[in-house]
Amino acid sequence: MAEEIKVDEVVDARGMYCPGPLMELIKIIQLKPVGTVLSVLSTDEGSVKDIPAWLKKVGQEHVQTEKKDGFWDVTVRKVK
Amino acid sequence: MEKLSLVLASDEFEKLQAAAMMASVAAVSGMAVNVFVTMSAMTCFIKERVDRKDFLKVGEVGKAILRKKAPLYADLLAQGREMGDLKVYACSLALDLLEKPLEEMVPIFEDVVGVATFLGIAEGGQVLFI
Repeated sequence: MAEEIKVDEVVDARGMYCPGPLMELIKIIQLKPVGTVLSVLSTDEGSVKDIPAWLKKVGQEHVQTEKKDGFWDVTVRKVK
Repeated sequence: MEKLSLVLASDEFEKLQAAAMMASVAAVSGMAVNVFVTMSAMTCFIKERVDRKDFLKVGEVGKAILRKKAPLYADLLAQGREMGDLKVYACSLALDLLEKPLEEMVPIFEDVVGVATFLGIAEGGQVLFI
């Protein structure tokens, strides 16, 4: 099993439409120190694909995406 | 820095929504984004109309956007401006023809410019015409 990931903060963007969850993540990640792990909760499937695309573009880390009950949990690490 | 410029000429609600999403997401992804609002699109930036949600051309998807209270184009552009390098320019001709000063528009504009100025700003980058 993969080691347990310690999440520093949850960004609950459930119910928001695209690009809401991505924008919420960006607002918060800007304020956090390097090393912070954020978990973005989204009911919007487009954002679940969009967030990793954005992370790749700006050079931040996509840790994992988990399907939960009726929403997704996208885990992100600020690496720079 | 990658550069993206968008020309908004249409007053169709969904086109404005799509363009504003494109622009704001590009801006928060580290691109320099310039938006030029001209022709009929200018009418959709009159503050009083935006406040009243008085949109002239709204299709099926647009109605759903309004019903579900998804963020509107003016808010998306404002957000892109706050969070990234996004600049919105108003076309001087469109304002002249509408006989409206920039003060009557939603407060997201950097400046009033003409086509030649915008072409200079957009030079060397991709341009989307919507």
